[in-house]
Amino acid sequence: MANYDFAVVGGGLVGSAIAYGLCGEGHRVVVMDEGDVAYRASRGNFGLVWIQSKGLGMPNYSDWSQSSSRLWLELAPELKALTGIDVQHQRSGGVHICHTEREWLQRRETMDRLSRETEGRFHFEMLDHRALASLVPAIGDDVFGASWTPMDGHANPLYLLRALHAGIHQRGGEYRRGGPVRRIARDGGGFRLERDGESVHCQRVVLAAGLGNRGLAEQVGLEAPLLPNRGEVMITERVAPLLDIPTTYLRQTGEGSLQVGDSHEDVGMNDGTRTEVLADIAQRALRAFPRLRDVRIVRSWGALRVMTPDGCPIYQASVTHPGAYLACCHSGVTLAAAHAKRLAPWIGGGECPEEIVPLTAERFHVRVSETA
Amino acid sequence: MKTIPLAIIGAGPAGMAAARTAARHGLRPVVFDEQPAPGGQIYRALESTPLRDPELLGQDYWHGRSLIEALRREPVDYRPGHMVWQLTRAGEIGVLAGDTAALIRAERVVLATGAQERPFPVPGWTLPGVMGAGAAQVLLKTSGVVARAPMILAGSGPLLYLVAVQYLRAGASVAAILETTPQENRRLALAHIGGAIRGWRYLRKGAGLLRELKRAGVRHERHVVALRAEGEEALTGVGWRTAERPDDWQHCEATTLLLHHGVVPNVQMTRALGGEHDWSEQQLCWRPRRDAFGRSDIENFFIAGDGGGIGGARAAQLQGELAALAALESLGHIDGPTLAREAAPVRRKLDAELVVRPFLDALYRPGDSWRRPDDEVVVCRCEEISAGEIRRVARLGCAGPNQMKSFTRCGMGPCQGRLCGLTVSEILAAENGQSLEQTGYYRLRPPFKPITLGQLASAAGDAPGAPAWNETETAS
Repeated sequence: MANYDFAVVGGGLVGSAIAYGLCGEGHRVVVMDEGDVAYRASRGNFGLVWIQSKGLGMPNYSDWSQSSSRLWLELAPELKALTGIDVQHQRSGGVHICHTEREWLQRRETMDRLSRETEGRFHFEMLDHRALASLVPAIGDDVFGASWTPMDGHANPLYLLRALHAGIHQRGGEYRRGGPVRRIARDGGGFRLERDGESVHCQRVVLAAGLGNRGLAEQVGLEAPLLPNRGEVMITERVAPLLDIPTTYLRQTGEGSLQVGDSHEDVGMNDGTRTEVLADIAQRALRAFPRLRDVRIVRSWGALRVMTPDGCPIYQASVTHPGAYLACCHSGVTLAAAHAKRLAPWIGGGECPEEIVPLTAERFHVRVSETA
Repeated sequence: MKTIPLAIIGAGPAGMAAARTAARHGLRPVVFDEQPAPGGQIYRALESTPLRDPELLGQDYWHGRSLIEALRREPVDYRPGHMVWQLTRAGEIGVLAGDTAALIRAERVVLATGAQERPFPVPGWTLPGVMGAGAAQVLLKTSGVVARAPMILAGSGPLLYLVAVQYLRAGASVAAILETTPQENRRLALAHIGGAIRGWRYLRKGAGLLRELKRAGVRHERHVVALRAEGEEALTGVGWRTAERPDDWQHCEATTLLLHHGVVPNVQMTRALGGEHDWSEQQLCWRPRRDAFGRSDIENFFIAGDGGGIGGARAAQLQGELAALAALESLGHIDGPTLAREAAPVRRKLDAELVVRPFLDALYRPGDSWRRPDDEVVVCRCEEISAGEIRRVARLGCAGPNQMKSFTRCGMGPCQGRLCGLTVSEILAAENGQSLEQTGYYRLRPPFKPITLGQLASAAGDAPGAPAWNETETAS
């Protein structure tokens, strides 16, 4: 039986980024991933490295995301140098499109609130139609305006996942695929992880199994109150350069295809697509970009976001099972850099980043008792 | 959303037979078909082909006339030019007609989506001038168009001879037939000779085609073990090696190369619906699970014809009848005893029809090296991913075709993996030392064929100009 310093449960973007960071600090790491077909939020990701509107009511989450946006500037070239894979990261700024004046005013209020709550650490600008059109010339005449931040950007989530896997491999980490991990038990000073046909021993364990954390957290004295939230996304054929910067629901990839998406449905563990939702997404995209009418869609998909009750991540070390850690979030791309460069060092034995101190699941209990 | 009792997808032999059966039992089905006219691939353009000489396309082609006439005559809501681009387990069907997309729900769905040509990746197969023999045959049927000479056909299987003969009869010249059927296939096929003798009609037909080719003096190279399409911008020639002269590349000038390694079920829809698929080692393809009546493991869905496993046009027709009967019974439109009574003679005919298959499958089984090509050969044409890249990623510990797809973009292009899916699964299985079942296949997602954002937006609930299904009588 192999013995590892760390076992990371989950080979998606969250688990891979943490494992990549841990390997970089010299730990012996194994990533326990599932097989070819699983609920893989990482494969359905839209690819935004996105700051605006995150952290409302939880300024720490905004700070944490902003920190990741900055660290992305180190992570992307590092991955390129180590693995040869260009993850197509651009910190180009990004816009949230407001179709009507009413939407625009509401947006301004939200952005103002976020700026106040972060004591001015969150910067944004509201753009009128003309200012928006100078940034995004393809924008439709009917669009009223947008909010803009310089920190937003995007990357190719699939290349990111591939680069992290290649990086783990390069840094001496091990990747093992099989069935889902079913049981985690204390074993001497460490843990024993069991799944069909395999049992792995490790000193410490990181739970990064997305929605799968639900059944695992409680085995190590933690809780993962997560619900699936479906997003549907479409991708078009490649088109000539159209967009220099990403928007909340349309971005152009490095290959030239357009990704169109952003829907929220509560449908349980169903990662299919519904025609009506896709049609609505298409209609909205065309309102913003009428010239895309004849662009062909080649694929659509649904994926399940890993959603906490307040939408903010959960990071927690177990008190009852020292050496067990939990990481849950729906922003595996945005937070990849923070996970690799700040979360992993904490899990590896360093100091806890101050932004994430309040991001334990305890916050949900506090709220319950306050409202009770 | 309008709900209809029975939708049939596809108007080839299986779909037309299913529609006729339903109509004769008093249920008016809706038939959606992408093509402008009925017939599927086999009876393509039968009503309009300029090649009216019955000898030219042959008896098997004109057999489709009665089915097409029935589709036109019986009370069937036949909708040509309707492309189904989305399908859900709830029976929700997204169709596109012209520039307008619409949604309709069917209580029962018969999938009769037929077969597609097996991918045949060789060096240079992406050059203009190289195409599938089946595609070339469609050109011939619909417009009498003959591909540019000099023309070479390469591959294996009865369709290869048939297309060559049809081209000859249409006045085209065929420079050569390069036969890739492995030498040992004859010996392996002998194990199934019993079935072959009972299916003598097929064998006699095949022998007749070969005689005709020989009479016409067509060069016929056997035991070809390697093949490449040559040219820079377009095809200029074809090179090959044979088992007898394994070290010599032989050449022939050509502007057209027609490739064929048989057909495989078109599983886009059954895959997207999440049905179970089994690997058929006999036919080297995935087959969606269905029972003897065509009932799939997806509730309320039935599979008829080659989409469930290759049996040919006559078998597809019989399976269409069975699937329609089973659908009618599950709708309560006919009772169990009626189903059993009506199905029995159809089942007997079907068994007789399928008896030759094991022999044919063994005889024309493409060799391993054709299905798992060398590293330099492009496998995914849309994204230009080579077999070598697939093997390299597999060695990094790639779990299967879906991780392969997300890592390399292999299978992400507009063809939706139709042209690389089988090859990728077979290469991965061989590299990982796994079975095809363990390896799996692409998880397919709609749209089954590309649809524009404007067309999709027209399906939105409040979109103007959405077609009014209520105005048409679809249920009896």
